[in-house]
Amino acid sequence: MMGAELGTSQKQVIYSIEECEKCGLKNKRLFMQGDYVIKKMGQCPRCSSQLIISAIYAEAPIKG
Amino acid sequence: MQLHNNALIPTSSVVQSELNPLQITGLTMDPTLALALQLILFIGPFLVLMIWGQRIQANISLGEVGRSLSRLNMLRDKSRQSLLSYVTKRNAKDPQLPKKMDDFLEYFTIMPVSMDPAGVVKKMDHILTSQDDRIRAEVASLMPDISDVEKSVVENMVSVATALNQIYKVIRHYYLLGKKSSNFYLLTQLQMIMPMLLKQADALVSAMGTLEQGQPLGDGIGPMAVGWLMKDKPKVQVERDTVMAETDYKGRKVVLLKAEGPKGSTGELDDALIKVLEGVHGDTKAIIMIDAALKLEGEKTGEVAEGVGAAIGGYGVEKFKIEEAAFKKGIPLYAVIVKESIIEAIGAMKKEVSEATAEVHRAVYRLIEQTVPENGKVVVIGVGNTLGVAQ
Repeated sequence: MMGAELGTSQKQVIYSIEECEKCGLKNKRLFMQGDYVIKKMGQCPRCSSQLIISAIYAEAPIKG
Repeated sequence: MQLHNNALIPTSSVVQSELNPLQITGLTMDPTLALALQLILFIGPFLVLMIWGQRIQANISLGEVGRSLSRLNMLRDKSRQSLLSYVTKRNAKDPQLPKKMDDFLEYFTIMPVSMDPAGVVKKMDHILTSQDDRIRAEVASLMPDISDVEKSVVENMVSVATALNQIYKVIRHYYLLGKKSSNFYLLTQLQMIMPMLLKQADALVSAMGTLEQGQPLGDGIGPMAVGWLMKDKPKVQVERDTVMAETDYKGRKVVLLKAEGPKGSTGELDDALIKVLEGVHGDTKAIIMIDAALKLEGEKTGEVAEGVGAAIGGYGVEKFKIEEAAFKKGIPLYAVIVKESIIEAIGAMKKEVSEATAEVHRAVYRLIEQTVPENGKVVVIGVGNTLGVAQ
């Protein structure tokens, strides 16, 4: 899913950060409708603990 | 000086030393005509500017304001369209919905008279609560089958679209007034504020997309910092859309308050705090408020600062009630703020702001250790819109 468009002059991409509460594994992906901070997601692929959305933020897209 | 019957004589037939000083590009000129030309060229524009200068300037201003007004109109239509598309997707059955939403955008609130200011805050509180109730009831009646989160999104989108509609109408009013009366001063004032207004209008339109997606706003840093402290703790609803949880920190009891997320609400933190202080937590030693605060130009986004006082925006009603409650009990008020611009506060949360959460926690813990004795109690409040932030 594409990140939301923010304004006409300044386009930014919204990312959701999934983080494992136990091993600290982080996964940065594009925001999806229904995401929210402190939302419990699936299991951590490394240690099978709970994954949680630790942050949702806007960032300028990486050029190139 | 040689005079000629003809006004202009080719210089080739005249000796260089006998040339009229008023010669122009090799042509000799009749001094009377030259004087007249001089008057037209140098004094004419001066006179024109003296007499019609303001009118010319007013016309330039009128053109510029007119162009900005067209852009404002486009932004207003865009916000209206976003709102309509969001609501019609969720209630396609009602053919009257666009008309009802348009009527909704014209909704207004009359603030209480302040000639006798004693008790005006209570009156304001009453009117703002009525406004809030009315918007909620209207949204609920227009779209009864949508979720609470979606309802809160519609309420927020209506607020943004109404704000843009109001800005456009007020600017159009003064533009037409200035045009009708050729009021140079009015138009110049409009011309001066237009760039800032357009910037804010752009940010409001951007916010519509953020709201629609349910993404956290820059203003949500307060609820986000407290939401993390509340995680995995039992929560109770203390006021409408406001939750409370308790935790411990180095022998101190920490009472946490925030708006209930992830729906887009600011909660009723003032009434919740009053309830908490009048209940079992009356012996609280300190109140710490976390909020996003407007940075000054040159300051860095996401910078964390500490201070004293009630960190809460809005019309001032909530601030007044919190200050009064703290004053009555003699409880000191501390503030931890995260700096951002107004555009960043109403738009999607930026990385720098999100990453300030850890610094906010450090500041809060430091404050607790410094101001609350062991076995003491402290209330920590996360102020702001909690859209996209749970607890």
